[in-house]
Amino acid sequence: MDLRETVDEAAFRLEARTWLEANVPDSSLPSFDTAEGFALHRQWEKKLYDGRWSAVSWPEQYGGRGADYIKWLIFEEEYYRAGAPGRVNQNGIFLLGPTIMEVGTDTQKERFLPTMASSEIVWGQAWSEPNAGSDLAGIKSKALRDGDDWILNGQKIWASRAVWADWCFGIFRTDPEAERHRGLTFILCPLDLPGITVRPIAQLDGDTGFAEIFFDDVRVPVENTLGEVNKGWGVAMATAGFERGVSLRSPARFSEAVNRLVALWKRLGDKSDTALADAVTDVWMQAEGYRLHTYQTVTGMLEGRPIGAEASLNKIFWSEMDVRIHEIALQIIGPEAERMEGPLERWVDGFLFSLSGPIYAGTHAIQRNIIADRVLQLPKGM
Amino acid sequence: MKFSFTDDQRLFAEGLRELLANECPPTLVRDVWENGTGHSPELWAHLSGMGVLSMLAPESAGGMGGSFVDAILLFQELGRAAVPGPVLEHMAVAAPALASTTFGASLIAGDSIATLWVDDSPYVAHAGVADLILRDDHVLESFRTTDAHGMDGGRRLFTVSGGNRTDATPNVAGLDPFDAMALASAAYLIGLSERMIEIAAEYARVREQFGKPIGSFQAVKYLMSDALLKVEFAKAPTYRAAFSASIGADTLVRDISMAKALASEAAYRTSRSTMQVHGGIGYTWEADLQLFMKKSWALMRSYGDANFHRRRVSGFVLA
Ligand SMILES: Cc1cc2nc3c(=O)[nH]c(=O)nc-3n(C[C@H](O)[C@H](O)[C@H](O)COP(=O)(O)OP(=O)(O)OC[C@H]3O[C@@H](n4cnc5c(N)ncnc54)[C@H](O)[C@@H]3O)c2cc1C
Repeated sequence: MDLRETVDEAAFRLEARTWLEANVPDSSLPSFDTAEGFALHRQWEKKLYDGRWSAVSWPEQYGGRGADYIKWLIFEEEYYRAGAPGRVNQNGIFLLGPTIMEVGTDTQKERFLPTMASSEIVWGQAWSEPNAGSDLAGIKSKALRDGDDWILNGQKIWASRAVWADWCFGIFRTDPEAERHRGLTFILCPLDLPGITVRPIAQLDGDTGFAEIFFDDVRVPVENTLGEVNKGWGVAMATAGFERGVSLRSPARFSEAVNRLVALWKRLGDKSDTALADAVTDVWMQAEGYRLHTYQTVTGMLEGRPIGAEASLNKIFWSEMDVRIHEIALQIIGPEAERMEGPLERWVDGFLFSLSGPIYAGTHAIQRNIIADRVLQLPKGM
Repeated sequence: MKFSFTDDQRLFAEGLRELLANECPPTLVRDVWENGTGHSPELWAHLSGMGVLSMLAPESAGGMGGSFVDAILLFQELGRAAVPGPVLEHMAVAAPALASTTFGASLIAGDSIATLWVDDSPYVAHAGVADLILRDDHVLESFRTTDAHGMDGGRRLFTVSGGNRTDATPNVAGLDPFDAMALASAAYLIGLSERMIEIAAEYARVREQFGKPIGSFQAVKYLMSDALLKVEFAKAPTYRAAFSASIGADTLVRDISMAKALASEAAYRTSRSTMQVHGGIGYTWEADLQLFMKKSWALMRSYGDANFHRRRVSGFVLA
């Protein structure tokens, strides 16, 4: 064990810091859940790509730097430290991209990865359906084979950023006879095809941060299939664990948030309130603990011990921590906590969004079931 | 010792519940949010007609002459319906406190609308629809307001400037406005919580995943019953605080703080649990749950949050 950075890692950190300091916009961009904000975030992604910072862990041939996970975490730390914009193409770069690298054909890699890294194409994730959320394997949307095409029919929901995204990656039922988890296929689909209707859905903050996607006899070529036909569940789950466990919310996000919280406490916190001081310290320890845990996890991955079902532990940990950070912040800011616009609105927005953390990417209950069944090997309930 | 409400008190509360079921459904609350007023004149007229707004004002001034025990279930019912506008402020403080002043008659009749500026907040809730604002030592009229973008569309926030002052020393049954509002909002928060639990329980009965109603899953049962536990155990302390207010008990401030601390925490726990039970739809604008959640987030922090009130209780208990 050596928790100090290597010379190479330190040099990488410095390079990232220098670039970010020179390039991160001075003032924060409008939310990417608005048309204007989405466009500006796309431009920012292009800039990141041009500096080869948009997908540091990807191979160089697709626009990355071939950085290992440790360096990816270092980059994330610098990214949040610099106060850089949110990642509008995170579903692509952090979820679909790694999946394509794992199961895609060379043609698919050439075709999809560079435009993903540059955010020329921004991706939405079309998995959930109105009646298939926690029970994802219960999806009903269908893909029927017709010559060299799939014909898609059905309805997806809650697809983040799909209001303005260009393509989506979905799972569709291709064998209605098969047992639920079998007979599903992973299909990539442009969102501007005839037969597609995207209906924006307003979130708790009023912005249309997700959307319903209706498919009405939508034709896509079969070459848009990712992985094998009827093996879509496995394809989807291959990266879901990594998403839940590491890539969706890197520790840097929370380290940065607790640092802001400590600064907020110093500025506005009631110093005579020892319970408040304890709460701030406690959540600081959580963020630090999550950071250490993640460095340990990715070292394991580099040494050939992939993350499995225990990713669900991480998902519960970070989403609860995120709520807690914001609860404490709102307690500190007092009357400002009731305002959707104002100098401290970021904390209020952050609070609302944190409440969705225990729901998206699999609810707490689902994560707990996974932990109980697969990590603890308890008898199956249902 | 007798810890219950009289038939009259209960019947009045039931009557209010019925009125609000008809006149203040979530669709009305939503309209009021979306039309930007945060207030419904029609609903206001109904509440005035029923005597709700003047419940705490003395009979001698044309009010109902009720005590906080008479009013506490009404605050709770108002919460169940997430009634928008400055109803609590008007009813729990302004109308009784100003009853014997020149403002009294029209406040008690509900013809003019009052709100409060009580704590050290820079913002005044409902100022945009209020004719007058009651402060610690004066009444403000003909003031200017600027929208401060409050989260709860039924409790719009403003900054206030200018205005004509008239001296006043507001006091309701020996309570200052802050404590009267802490008590009223504790009961209102309990009503909000009850409603959130009802909405989520209904959802958990009909929403199916894995071929079963989600309410059949133990995780969902526990979320709901733990919320209920918090809410039920905030009620008796809140009713006790109302009683203490009605007799001017020595322990009044401690009792109000205990109620507000427990009700604020119960409402927050309930908001989180009921949202969680809803899954994705709980995070949308279109789900009615948000009307109740956002009101509870606003009120749990107003007139002292749980932390403030717990510290006040501890000042008495650990003295
Ligand atoms: C902000 C946000 C962004 C999202 N982005 C996307 C996206 O980009 N793409 C996408 O495809 N989806 C997305 N989702 C959808 C998300 O994955 C689902 O909302 C989530 O999986 C829950 O499904 P549901 O909403 O249908 O809730 P339900 O599955 O109906 O769950 C309702 C409640 O029942 C509980 N429950 C269900 N089954 C069980 C069980 N077996 N045991 C115990 N409890 C159970 C749940 O835990 C929850 O409390 C997003 C959601 C949110 C809130």
